[in-house]
Amino acid sequence: MTEPAGELYDLGYAHYEGPREGRMRARKAVYSNGVRTVLGLGRGPLAKALPMLLFGAAMAPAVILALVASQVEGLDVPGHSAYYQIVSIILILFSAMIAPELLCPDRRSGVLSLYLVRPLTSTDYVAGRWMAFFSITLLLVYSGQVVLFAGFLLSAAAPLDYLRDHWLDVPRFLGAGIVVALFTTTLPLAASAFTLRRAYAAAFVIGVFIISAAAGGILTSCEDEDHELLDTPGECEPLTGEAAKWFGLLDMGKVPIHVSDMIFAVGDKDSGLSREVAKLPDIVPIGWYLLLTGGLALILLWRYRRIAA
Amino acid sequence: MTVLLRADGLTKHYGATIALESVDFEVSRGITGLLGPNGAGKSTAIKLFLGLLKPTAGSAEVLGEKPYDSIEVRGRLGYMPEDDCLPTAITASEFLTHMAQVSGLPPAHARTRAADMLRHVGVDEERYRSLGEYSTGMKQRVKLAQALVHDPIVVLLDEPTSGLDPGGREEMLELIRRTGKEFGISVVLSSHLMGDVEATCDNIILLDGGHVAEEGTISGYTRETQTILIDVDDKRDELVAALVRLGINATIDGHSIAVEQDSDEQFDEIRDALVEVDARLRRMTPRRHRLSDIFRSAPK
Repeated sequence: MTEPAGELYDLGYAHYEGPREGRMRARKAVYSNGVRTVLGLGRGPLAKALPMLLFGAAMAPAVILALVASQVEGLDVPGHSAYYQIVSIILILFSAMIAPELLCPDRRSGVLSLYLVRPLTSTDYVAGRWMAFFSITLLLVYSGQVVLFAGFLLSAAAPLDYLRDHWLDVPRFLGAGIVVALFTTTLPLAASAFTLRRAYAAAFVIGVFIISAAAGGILTSCEDEDHELLDTPGECEPLTGEAAKWFGLLDMGKVPIHVSDMIFAVGDKDSGLSREVAKLPDIVPIGWYLLLTGGLALILLWRYRRIAA
Repeated sequence: MTVLLRADGLTKHYGATIALESVDFEVSRGITGLLGPNGAGKSTAIKLFLGLLKPTAGSAEVLGEKPYDSIEVRGRLGYMPEDDCLPTAITASEFLTHMAQVSGLPPAHARTRAADMLRHVGVDEERYRSLGEYSTGMKQRVKLAQALVHDPIVVLLDEPTSGLDPGGREEMLELIRRTGKEFGISVVLSSHLMGDVEATCDNIILLDGGHVAEEGTISGYTRETQTILIDVDDKRDELVAALVRLGINATIDGHSIAVEQDSDEQFDEIRDALVEVDARLRRMTPRRHRLSDIFRSAPK
């Protein structure tokens, strides 16, 4: 006689006797689910395409700069602070498209109501989502900087000398990375808190970015004796005169860069449009950055407290 | 008997609008219906017990704690909202696992509970399909499953049969009965449909205009009355006339004849009247109170 291959049991309902970890577990779950959402894990191939594009777009400048440094000797290749200038624009554009995915669908489909009846507050929820996006952004900008640093180090004639002369770049890009990531995380998430549609939030952030960049650019530009507009501000008198340095603050894409530039202590050397802003006392761009980032974070928290009530 | 939910002088005002006014009631184990017309205060009461709203006065307690202040107790509550609340892009399995974790379960336990719960509500085979592809009936089951996945002590269901066809409604009511009886999870069922409450609940609390109008056991409201209903295939009017001639208080009531019973001998007289007019008897039964009667008799 053959042995039966298996037996069927009706297990019925069994009560859960395992551990219950309460609010801490709930916070971790919102965070890890946020990370999965940003990366498109557990979703279709389309959801993964955008984060992969972002990764490619953010890494490309670092790889190119590192390659140029290794191939062309003696060339003054833009360094770590320039990388943040480039990558902050890429980050804002992509964050505008990815960040709304973290907040809009939960409100639109009503899932938020299921979160708020669990051991979790609206602040826990939004902080978890924010942390998820912040950590991925930070990881991304750090990866680019590490590639860049490794590229410079390996292409240096004397790597040890390079390390001795440039080790300070590491804490600088670590600190400035937090400054950039804080801003590029908070702005699109705050915009997402006010609309159920991802496209509206993305359009708003990209619109603010483009319009403010144009306004900042025009108001700080200058013309030569032949009334030709110059794209190298700082080498002539701006059209708006003394006020130009204030108008430079308008450019939203540059808000974290002013502070990042200060961290790298590049001052007015190679920071493009921020040159005019550099004429202001340091506390002004720093205060402006803190006001905007902190204000947006408070708006985000306030909005979710309102939604929960 | 263990009190699971307690409303003590529970009051909630929205500006000048009074949603609940000094309401007192208790919910014990079993299936309790929170019944009332739209605007009676049912949803407000549920939100107060879930800790989503703060009472204007009084208290809403769950297992002796106030969920607005102590959010940990919410880990022992389940909630199935009336409105849509499911994401579309992920699978039922991933969604339930995540919701179990948000209720405080560690990931490995959450995965096991999610699989078990989907089996119990009958969406086992579709668990790896995206929720956006689910039918209304399957979505309702997943909504119930997410409310039960962390094995709560009490689950609050807000209009759970909303939007379902008769077959789907019957299946949902059966699942609710199983939740209460077989799973041993107490249920508070908020509904304006008396049929749903009658089919599932042991106890009811009737809310009307922000007050408790009635409360008690279902059997108390559906007990037999002194009226006998007689259905005949033909000669209905002749039968009424014959009964009246015998001194019986008989009237036409819809498709039936209603007889006010005053003695057991009346059954013999009814039999005689049936023989006299040669009517074919289809059914003879005592009338029961219906839950809808309490809506009519509830004080305004």
